[in-house]
Amino acid sequence: MKKYWKDFFTAIKCGDIWTRFSLLVMGVGYWGHGQVVKGILMCLIELGFFFFTGKVSWQYITKLNTLGTVQREEVLDLTTLTKTVNDYDNSLLILLFGIIGILTIAAFVLLYISNLKAVYRLQMMKENGEHIPRFTEDCQELVNGKFHVTLLTLPGLGVLLVNIIPIIFMICIAFTNYDLNHQPPTYLFTWVGLNNFKQLFTTTTTVTFGYVFVRVLVWTLVWALLATFTTYFGGILLAKLINDRTVRCKKLWRTLFVITIAIPQFVTLLLVGKMFGDYGIVNGICSRIGLTQFLQNIGLVSHGLSYIPFLSKPGWAHVMIVMINIWVGVPFQMLSATGILMNIPNDQLESAKIDGANERQIFWKITMPYMLFVTGPSLITAIIGNINNFNVIYLLTSDYVTSNMNFANSNAREVDLLVTWLFTLTNDYSNYKMASVIGICVFIICAVLTLVGFTRMIAGNREEEFQ
Amino acid sequence: MKKKMIAVLLVAGMVASLTVGCGNTQEAANDTQKTDDSHAAETKSDDAVANLIAGTDGPVELTLWCAETEQYQTVMKQLVDEFEQQYPDVEFDITIGAESEANCKDDVLVDVENAADVFVFADDQLLDLVNAGALQSVDATFTYDPTTANSKEAVDAASVNGKMYAYPLTASNGYFLFYNSDYLTEEDVSSWDNLLAAAEKQGKTVGMEVSGAWYLYGFFSGADLEMYRNDDGSNTCNWNATDTKYTGADVATAVTEICKSKAMVDCVNEDAQAFALNGEMIADVNGTWATSGFKEAYGDGYAAAKLPTFTVDGEQVQMGSFAGYKFVGVNSYSKDTGWAMLLAEYITNEQSQKAIGVATGEGPSNINAAASEEIAAAPALAALSEQSQYADLQRVGNNYWDPAAALGESLVSGDYTDVQKLLDEAVEGITQPITAE
Repeated sequence: MKKYWKDFFTAIKCGDIWTRFSLLVMGVGYWGHGQVVKGILMCLIELGFFFFTGKVSWQYITKLNTLGTVQREEVLDLTTLTKTVNDYDNSLLILLFGIIGILTIAAFVLLYISNLKAVYRLQMMKENGEHIPRFTEDCQELVNGKFHVTLLTLPGLGVLLVNIIPIIFMICIAFTNYDLNHQPPTYLFTWVGLNNFKQLFTTTTTVTFGYVFVRVLVWTLVWALLATFTTYFGGILLAKLINDRTVRCKKLWRTLFVITIAIPQFVTLLLVGKMFGDYGIVNGICSRIGLTQFLQNIGLVSHGLSYIPFLSKPGWAHVMIVMINIWVGVPFQMLSATGILMNIPNDQLESAKIDGANERQIFWKITMPYMLFVTGPSLITAIIGNINNFNVIYLLTSDYVTSNMNFANSNAREVDLLVTWLFTLTNDYSNYKMASVIGICVFIICAVLTLVGFTRMIAGNREEEFQ
Repeated sequence: MKKKMIAVLLVAGMVASLTVGCGNTQEAANDTQKTDDSHAAETKSDDAVANLIAGTDGPVELTLWCAETEQYQTVMKQLVDEFEQQYPDVEFDITIGAESEANCKDDVLVDVENAADVFVFADDQLLDLVNAGALQSVDATFTYDPTTANSKEAVDAASVNGKMYAYPLTASNGYFLFYNSDYLTEEDVSSWDNLLAAAEKQGKTVGMEVSGAWYLYGFFSGADLEMYRNDDGSNTCNWNATDTKYTGADVATAVTEICKSKAMVDCVNEDAQAFALNGEMIADVNGTWATSGFKEAYGDGYAAAKLPTFTVDGEQVQMGSFAGYKFVGVNSYSKDTGWAMLLAEYITNEQSQKAIGVATGEGPSNINAAASEEIAAAPALAALSEQSQYADLQRVGNNYWDPAAALGESLVSGDYTDVQKLLDEAVEGITQPITAE
């Protein structure tokens, strides 16, 4: 860090007229030292930057502190039926362009500093009588020596555009009052500090976010672990079973399970959801064979119901969702497990057999450690994926109605994950502020899990440990 | 330092909210002025249209959103064609989009600037659309006067604080009872007790989505308990009252009693239609959207009636309901407000409403159209108009739906111990204040 600034100030102190003049016009240094094309490019970038900031983003940046003060007003001229609208502020655009504008300025400052340093380096090269690369040579360098720069530019830009800007934007929303009553473009929203975070952890009789948040969070984590490990072990067991010598028609079995992957997940889920609905096929069969009656007698189904609430009461729904997810998820795991199981070094298995290990010992001492070692990182991804597993929950519980008033007051249900709750809040109740607070929580959970998980799993010394 | 920053942010927030407040009053002042203008403008309506035609060059591009059903799409296409022929000098490019009116609000509010110019929506979305500033108020009319042509209830439903924001299209979005007259007599369907007894005797079922907040309202409003939206978006609700003629606890107990019947099925529209089709369900509380389904299921026995009475505290009480309307709204962000208003007027005038009524089986809000022979004869619409004297305008704040649904769910399953406590909690949720910052 220190060196960064030291280099910059040395460049100013010791730079010649060209170098110093490029403090004002960025391209001049290149011109002065014989790199004309690069100089022009730099000038264009500088011009573009000032144009964008002055013409577009500055007007938004100046309003960032209030997010706009002029509300929209319209007047319809009834004699000509044309409408005049005042020059109103749009809080959403102010926030978005404000963020983009500030990022652009930050990027420009970085470029500005590195530009000066580069020009100073050029000056030194010239003074030392070294060869000054021409523009074509620089371009060639980009596909040879600096190929990594060329390769990473596009993904870097992509990450900035589709990850960083939206994340900053979303985080900002959490500190505003953007909700049903403050919707741009007609109305303005503004900063409210940490109010929304306070609300998330408040529990009173009507504001139940605190009560609901803890429960939804616990269910989300329980679900993620259950969903991941049931399908994981289910997949391995299924693959082992099919691989077993005594099983005939291996290919047929595998194909059958792969077919379940081929059917789009949401079709399966919608169908299964209907089958297990309050008046679905399964309930029809259960009541006919007397299972419903039996469950009522042993107290698992309340006497007020004429059906088994597979997907409509807490407890029942939680279990069913995990079970249905096993059906949907196991074939995927089976497929990847099959591949890995085939790659277990045969010499290890055989030497274990010679040493007198039985099947179970081999499975727990050799197969599982090997599997865990290979699939560790993908397990972490699977857990993250399940924390955000919108499809399964949303499609299976579309008819679920909570009878718990605390959940109802926060527009949540017992079976909601954080992500489906977030969806209801935004989609049905336009409560963007609370949704983005929840979004931040999901983000933190996922980030921590990933970081901890990956550093533990892929730490360099683990490889040796396994062998 | 951090505290200071938060303080600064908060102060900024407060200052901004002050200015927002100012904006509102200013707008209100403008509004009153506008309504004054509109009276003067009506006389000049021909001029306005002439001015508009003269001022229009190039094709007028409009988008119209209406229900995705084939009947709607066909009849709207035909009406739009007729509209275009009315103004031969103007070139139109009108696109008809399929958009269920039940969730029109959500799709409009996602990006109001790019939403349709003219859209059909259900009346319960009116307040949210007005609050979001998405609706162009009906400041002036040019071809007919919607305030006198439509029933007064429909006009009231389309107005907020005395100002009309949408053109009434249909008046049949409420609910009533479909039944199969092969199994049930008119006497049977007059009360829940008779209805359920008759169904139990024949081993058949009766359906109603009791756990749905929208339907549950009927029981409580029938017993004269109140639930309505306040100006700030919160609700007033006395469903837990203990000092009214029928207490909230009495009504809640009555609902649970109904649901205890073996013949009673708490189910949504799709399930009910399926049950009706396989002959199990001989009556269902539902709305006009299910008309064709029940016609097919009950055949010659198809009939409809007002909602039955139910027993509260030993007395028979007529069930209430929500009266529902469909409106045509003009997007206030439309680029061609004038033409959008004219189109909205055209598809809601008497002939158009009649055409839509005939095509879709829905009841027009236009008085003349509703009285016409081909419309008034339909059993569903007759039942609806019989029910309408017990129906209330749907003015409901957002906080009603989830707590009321949770209440309904508890009442249906009957797994509560203290009914008063249950109602108190529900009312507290329904009436929770809107947090304003």
